[in-house]
Amino acid sequence: MSSLLARAVRTGIRSPLSSRLHQPMAAIRFQSTEAKAAATATEEYDVVIVGGGIAGSALACALASNKASSTLKIALIEAFDLSNHIKWSPRPDQYSNRVSSLTPKSVSFLKKIGVWSELDSSRVAACEGMQVWDGVSGARITFDATDVDGVQSSFLHQVFSGNIPTPPGVNNSTNQENLDGSKEASPLAWMTENLHVQYGLQKQLVGHQARGVKLDVFEKTKVQGITTEQGESAQPQGDWPAVQLDNGKTLVTRLLVGADGVNSPVRSFAKIESLGWDYSQFGLVGTLQIDPSTSTAPGQGKGIAWQRFLPTGPIAMLPLNNGYASLVWSTTPKIAQDLKKLPARDFCALVNAAFSASPAELEYLYKNIGPNGEPLVDFLKEIEWRTSVHDQEASQTMIRGGSSSQGDAKPPRVVDVQENSRAPFPLRMRNSSSYVEDRVVLVGDAAHTVHPLAGQGLNQGLADVECLARVIETSLLSGSDIGNIHSLTPYSSERFLPNLAMLGTVDKLSKLYNTDFGPVVWARSLGLTAVDKMGPIKNEIMRFAMGLEEPSKRS
Amino acid sequence: MSARIFTRTNPSVLKQCLTRTGATPSLARSAVPCASLFTFRSPLEAPTGKLYEGHIPISPLQRTILAVGSAFTALANPLRGDMVAALGETTSGIFLNRIRDQMLQDPEGRRILRERPVITSETMQLDTLRQLPDGTFGREYVRFLDDQQVSPDTREPVHYVDSEELAYVMQRYRETHDFYHTLTGLPVTVDGEIALKWFEMAQTGLPMTMLSSFFGPLRLSSEERERLFNVYVPWALENGSTGKLLMNVRWEEWMEKPVEDVQRELGVRPCPEV
Repeated sequence: MSSLLARAVRTGIRSPLSSRLHQPMAAIRFQSTEAKAAATATEEYDVVIVGGGIAGSALACALASNKASSTLKIALIEAFDLSNHIKWSPRPDQYSNRVSSLTPKSVSFLKKIGVWSELDSSRVAACEGMQVWDGVSGARITFDATDVDGVQSSFLHQVFSGNIPTPPGVNNSTNQENLDGSKEASPLAWMTENLHVQYGLQKQLVGHQARGVKLDVFEKTKVQGITTEQGESAQPQGDWPAVQLDNGKTLVTRLLVGADGVNSPVRSFAKIESLGWDYSQFGLVGTLQIDPSTSTAPGQGKGIAWQRFLPTGPIAMLPLNNGYASLVWSTTPKIAQDLKKLPARDFCALVNAAFSASPAELEYLYKNIGPNGEPLVDFLKEIEWRTSVHDQEASQTMIRGGSSSQGDAKPPRVVDVQENSRAPFPLRMRNSSSYVEDRVVLVGDAAHTVHPLAGQGLNQGLADVECLARVIETSLLSGSDIGNIHSLTPYSSERFLPNLAMLGTVDKLSKLYNTDFGPVVWARSLGLTAVDKMGPIKNEIMRFAMGLEEPSKRS
Repeated sequence: MSARIFTRTNPSVLKQCLTRTGATPSLARSAVPCASLFTFRSPLEAPTGKLYEGHIPISPLQRTILAVGSAFTALANPLRGDMVAALGETTSGIFLNRIRDQMLQDPEGRRILRERPVITSETMQLDTLRQLPDGTFGREYVRFLDDQQVSPDTREPVHYVDSEELAYVMQRYRETHDFYHTLTGLPVTVDGEIALKWFEMAQTGLPMTMLSSFFGPLRLSSEERERLFNVYVPWALENGSTGKLLMNVRWEEWMEKPVEDVQRELGVRPCPEV
């Protein structure tokens, strides 16, 4: 009878989406006594990481590569097949559709844990500049890697941390590198496929296992339920979480890490609330083939990321190598689905139009996508007509040079889209009410989810991982329990505010640009133009986006 | 504080400017952060060259003076067509843009923008229209022109709109005005024109129609004003907002249809008590 009940409970909590995961807790005791009977299936770990995505794998890697934490017994649980990542061998003319921009801060972390050197440099593109503009008013801001003084940390941060910058005369040893031109300015970011980062991470993990780190990877394994080990019998582990796997094993752990994504089962187990909202937007990703010679930016726009804010959401083209680019197009759910079905030729025409045509024109084209994705009008002809009207007016307006949009660089033309690379996904904003509970900690998307318009989601996750690994190391060195909430609080207090600030900033930006209401457009355009011309403020924004706000002493 | 920023940014940025070849203009700007914070165009300088036949490029200052001046003149004498036209053009700004955008959403509107048909006595072939049976839109249109002793050719050309396409939109708006009279049955009287302006305001939101709608009634007698607000305005607001956007109508192709059919298809009831 009791086993039947336990079974019912287990099936009840099998769905990771169940928001009432913690409800059958009282009944769980049956199972824990049952598990005691089959004690062989229970194993103890120091750290169990649920979720083998980039954040989870990077944490395993960081812990294994650090001397103090490499003695820990670590488990990494992933529902999918991780060994696929190691076998990853893409063709040079094929790119996966999920591409992320890695900030200098994230890259230095990946270097530190030995992952960066595993990557194929021909598949990493440096982003040297950014062109961001308003699709309604045309107001534009440009970022250039050479604008950023990459040596010192953010001025604002220096002021707030009381770390008064040394006068230029004293501190010129670090500047020297830049001044004599021997060292290039750091790119704003590096673009690479998420799969590529995963490949590097898994290679490192295998390497760590080979040199004897107690790291167990449970791939193709699902978490069936998480309970708290209770009762007098399991004395030292009195309150440790127990993770039941679908292979029959139960992992009892000192510290449980939730790196299990937006609908984190670990977060539900810890009864941590997740606050936020869904944008009524979808992001459409895809791999584009471009003709670089059509860009009017210097150097044929090599290494430039383009982003245009449309009333339906921003569209961004991120540079990859060899004439490829990655698309992230945020738009309404319906349009995203329609864009996915559109024939490649018309889709490319529409992407090109989305970077140049008026929002009204785009609206007409969206409306003329049939239920099966077929264009109801001749897209190429319609776009060509509007482009010619546009170009003519632009050239005439420039005769006297009054226009502010004079000389705006044009992105390269899209000539093709890789087959089956178009995929829509919902956009949301979430932040957990807390990142830590006793013996539970959340990292990456499980802790927070952000709109992709600033390309910060993965970087925030890696910053979490970097911080958590450092906090765990500190606890180990001071001899305290790594799972104790007091040991974990420094992680929470260091990451919560920066993440919230980023989430808030990106959310406000998204809302600010999600309208074509006249006065709002006017105000935001004035603001954008002003910031574009105010070097120091722009510099601070870039450092914030590049993750350079951290004090230099940490690195 | 700001001095600190400059000492920190300036030397290295300037040096990089000099050493890197692919430098963009933004570099130069960031080196002198506040000198060129905003570059306003002089209010005395016209922004463009001549964009189309009849275009008169004017500066923002001239535009303001012309708008205010024409508003007062038009209010004093609504029959000064040139002043009404100047008022419409100088205040149209972003609203013409909006009409153009609405036209771009509609297949007919796009066809009009693409082909840019003009309405003159020649293109309309008024003599042919006179042969049409009574009650057809074309016959009633010519009857209206003959009664008022006007011709499509007497329309003031567009002068002050700084965009070729928007100038065409303005011109089209003006050229199709007479069809509105035929459609609604409103006469060319002061209160009739004001009622039509209310109708157009509900349709397009052009500021000029608003100015006429709100200030025009000042010229009416109390009796006329009562009729305007009790009968015409409710009719105009209702029919203007529910009917099809008349800028998207290719009137030239509707001439043989009976007026009632045209009214029904466009969702506009004839104005009562005319």
